[in-house]
Amino acid sequence: MIRLTLSQMRRSAGRLAAAAVAIVIGTAFVAVTLLAGNVITSTTYDSIAAQYTGADLVVRGAAPGGATEDAVRDVAGVATADEQLMSYQQLENGGRTIFQGVLAEPTDPAVLPLTVTDGALPEAAGEIALPTDVAERLDVAPGDQITLARNVLDGDQEVDEQAWTEVREKLTVSGTLDDPYGAFSMMGGAAVAPAADVQGWEADLMGPGESSGEPATLLVTLDEGVDVGQTREAITGAAATAASNAGMDVSAVDVVTPDEHAESVASEMTGGEDVIFTTFVLVFAAIALLVAALVIANTFQVLVAQRTRTLALLRCVGADKSQLRRSVLFEATLLGLASSVVGLLAGLGLGQAALAVGRGMDLGVPLPETITLTPAVVLVPVVVGTLVTLVAAFAPARAATRVAPLAALRPDEAPTAARGAGRVRLVLSLLVAVVGFALLGAGVALSTAAGEPTTGLLVGVAGGVLSFVGVLVSAVFWLPRVVALAGRLVGASGPTARLAAANTLRNPRRTAATSTALLIGVTLVGMMSTAAASARITMDAEFDGRYPVDVTVSTDLSGSGKDATPVPAGLGDTVRELDGVASVLEVPATSVQLAGDGVDEAAQVIARGMDPDEAASVLRSTESLTPLAAGTAVVPENVADVWGVTDGQTLTLTGPDGPLETTAAVTELADDAVVLVPDDLATLDAAAPTTGLWVGLDDPRDAAAVVPTIQDAVADTEAPADVLGAAVERASFQQVIDTALGIVVGLLAVAVVIALIGVANTLSLSVIERRRESATLRAIGLSKAQLRGMLAVEGVLIALVGAVLGVLLGLVYGWTGAAAALGWAGEPAIAVPWRDVLLMLGVALVAGLVASVAPARTAVRTSPVEALATE
Amino acid sequence: MDTTVYVPIPDDAPAAGARPAVTPAVRARALTKTYGRGEAEVRALDGVDVDFAAGRFTAIMGPSGSGKSTLMHLLAGLDSATSGQAFVGSTEVTGLNDKALTAVRRTRVGFVFQQFNLLPMFTAEQNITLPVELAGGTVDKMWLGTLVDTLGLGKRLTHRPAELSGGQQQRVAIARALIAQPDVVFADEPTGNLDSRSGAEVLSFLRRSVRELGRTIIMVTHDPAAAAYADRVVLIADGKIAGDITDPTPESALAGLDALRTVAAR
Repeated sequence: MIRLTLSQMRRSAGRLAAAAVAIVIGTAFVAVTLLAGNVITSTTYDSIAAQYTGADLVVRGAAPGGATEDAVRDVAGVATADEQLMSYQQLENGGRTIFQGVLAEPTDPAVLPLTVTDGALPEAAGEIALPTDVAERLDVAPGDQITLARNVLDGDQEVDEQAWTEVREKLTVSGTLDDPYGAFSMMGGAAVAPAADVQGWEADLMGPGESSGEPATLLVTLDEGVDVGQTREAITGAAATAASNAGMDVSAVDVVTPDEHAESVASEMTGGEDVIFTTFVLVFAAIALLVAALVIANTFQVLVAQRTRTLALLRCVGADKSQLRRSVLFEATLLGLASSVVGLLAGLGLGQAALAVGRGMDLGVPLPETITLTPAVVLVPVVVGTLVTLVAAFAPARAATRVAPLAALRPDEAPTAARGAGRVRLVLSLLVAVVGFALLGAGVALSTAAGEPTTGLLVGVAGGVLSFVGVLVSAVFWLPRVVALAGRLVGASGPTARLAAANTLRNPRRTAATSTALLIGVTLVGMMSTAAASARITMDAEFDGRYPVDVTVSTDLSGSGKDATPVPAGLGDTVRELDGVASVLEVPATSVQLAGDGVDEAAQVIARGMDPDEAASVLRSTESLTPLAAGTAVVPENVADVWGVTDGQTLTLTGPDGPLETTAAVTELADDAVVLVPDDLATLDAAAPTTGLWVGLDDPRDAAAVVPTIQDAVADTEAPADVLGAAVERASFQQVIDTALGIVVGLLAVAVVIALIGVANTLSLSVIERRRESATLRAIGLSKAQLRGMLAVEGVLIALVGAVLGVLLGLVYGWTGAAAALGWAGEPAIAVPWRDVLLMLGVALVAGLVASVAPARTAVRTSPVEALATE
Repeated sequence: MDTTVYVPIPDDAPAAGARPAVTPAVRARALTKTYGRGEAEVRALDGVDVDFAAGRFTAIMGPSGSGKSTLMHLLAGLDSATSGQAFVGSTEVTGLNDKALTAVRRTRVGFVFQQFNLLPMFTAEQNITLPVELAGGTVDKMWLGTLVDTLGLGKRLTHRPAELSGGQQQRVAIARALIAQPDVVFADEPTGNLDSRSGAEVLSFLRRSVRELGRTIIMVTHDPAAAAYADRVVLIADGKIAGDITDPTPESALAGLDALRTVAAR
């Protein structure tokens, strides 16, 4: 029986190969996912371990300060012991400012996981070595000077009256550093300064004798030939004594090797991250495998149908049902195993290639040189791939047992796959779909109307999953009808198209399964992009209302208009000229006193003046400034809350030039100042200086690029102005959505690719089955081009129906999903991601055409003579 | 009783034109087809010269492996000849490219197959008109009506092949072969898959197509009873023309076939 199975496999090699591709892609996907999870873990581990390379032991939970260092250094066998101290300081050169962590230089430079690229490590006080990129941004080289602006606690003051003075010192750049192991990549890199300097800066932040109380980490090197175990105990004792002297928890003191330390930190940090990542991606791998299973089931169904005569013959000569079933399942197992191994190898190759590319791209994270093989990476893809193939072959195997021995005696007939499924399935699946859609609607209603977003989302997700299952299971009943309808539309265009349309209906089940495979992927991609588009619009509206100004430049930092320096003359024009800036509004302001019923007597706020029409040119949304008119003061909600202002009350403002009676209008404006029309402001202060620029950008999504140019322009004037970009937050939010969407769509694309292979597979199977018919058509005058055209139309019909239905379903799911998830953020917007929709339909169209190329080549090779052959 | 006597034709005799007055619809000149090379070379057709008159029903008869099917494939331009020429009307089909051959098949030649080869998803009428539609032409309704009447298909036009008997399917196939009014129809064992009654019916329809509609039909068969419906029988053996019977009867056809077998056995 096994020999027979093998010889049958050889005969069907081509068809099996097509199915194998689907499994290969699916298992490669799983393998790459698992590899990536491992890389995340090992990268985290490496980066942590790198911080301690060169150290022999690490003391954790020690008391900060020199006392512990001294105590540990006194232990016999200890060569050096240095507290790993990092102080965050502001470094400046010209107008550029960088907030940078500065590491205390250890006694033994070998403990430092950084390499000097230019110059040297600091040797004397007042020197500093900078990370290469920081030196570049500050535009300095070794030998140049930079400014350190740090805070020093003022004299002996009571704790609640502490105040700091800014001290500016010059530092000399001694060299530049690289971080080849990414040891400090999670902390934005590290500069290095002499330990005494760094300790001094930290001490200046605190009163004399005070300690931060934060447990410190010490890096210890030992003399050569010293026994680590014994020294370790001695160090623990010394550090514990020092800790108890400092009044700290002794039990927290712990001495470990660098490896032990990295392992414990890495496991703490990644207990979540890599597991979440792997689970997340594996969900998509599962979808890809589900689609692959559909393709495989399809292939086996056809194989069994084609072998009807052989199977019947076997039954005639004495094979029993279970032998036939075993034969099919054995074939599936072999195919699954072989293609899973190929898929695994492909996955490993891809993973290795990705690492090589990633290392070449300098991602700021040191990637391992080679992939790490674990039992899970090797076994999981192979086992899963084989199982999926086996399960997909169950139904065809059952079909094989149903072949009657009599079938061997019947005259040659075109093989037909099993016909439609039972009524029970139809009723059940439709029921599930209807219930699912009802739940989906209920979820949206709960989340938007009833204000129960969490319950709504849960109900909505359950409804979505249920309805999709219902739709997929019932597809075999209604999908062929849709194809028939589409076929009738294209059939009008000529006999070739009519032939193609008729062909797609000859095996409704296979057409349905092929289209369904594509439907799954396209629905999910469509859902994600629709949801993202809807979310974007909803959030845009939300942001527009909340942060109507893209970027503000203001000089009234202190919050009191008195000592506000005006914005330098000409800055407004300079900013206006910048690329990406649409409009600039110069806003005068003055400090005023508020008075009114229930208003706090100390209410001192800034009042801005602006013309409503001019403001409209800058603002994304003028909603919060709608009430602005002469005699009205627009009061932001937060200001109103602080000072006790109520909407509609009479509010008296008093400025340097006199009082003004206004009506308060409390709105959601995101500002800390009241807004008046310019004439009203002039009444309060005729010489109110321009203390702010309100800047509107061409496209707030470019904020990340435009805002720094504004910052540079402001810095060049050397005026103490602050640049605030609400647009930056908005842009980063949008970037998160876009990135997440891109990743998800990319992962789902694998499922779409597998489904498209399924389309090609179905077409080539049809071509093989219809050999005689193709020959007949050629004999009665079908040209080669027409034959190719016929198959192309078939492929496009199958692919496009799947894609169009997928897009429609995706829109429904995307909209309802966005409504259920973002119902709290106001009226959910309904958006159609036209670009993505057209792209998907275009891909389906092209893929349908491409899928028909290889089968068509086989078909046109058929000589018309074969129509005359009598088998 | 038919009294025609089988007359062997010498190998070097001129091409057998039974009635010189009629222009030949199909001609073969030194038509040769070999398969394989060297030792394994098989001459399926060995320098055949033959004319088939227009407006006549000719049967090509011979034992299995005699080369009768090969001759038909070459005459119809379905297969390429090793050497020699084949003409449909004045067009030489040997040496035409696929595009030109497709054009010939569309307008000049019709086929009737042993296995009917109707398209299962189309109705009888759609099957009949398909060749015209593939060629991008319009169906001649008058001619379609004539064919349907002659072949007795009036009540079957909306049926699909699965709903038709074998004889009915073959009549649909004949109508399909004739719809484009081709110069010649090739029929390959058209009764091979039919019981004798349906076979007789189909053969009389073929004869009526020639007599009443003026078509030209060349039929390949190994059945003397079927050959007897033809106006003329061309006998073929070992890839060569081995005899020619005008106005055959089942008996004379059988006698001719038997003579070939005895020749072959000798």
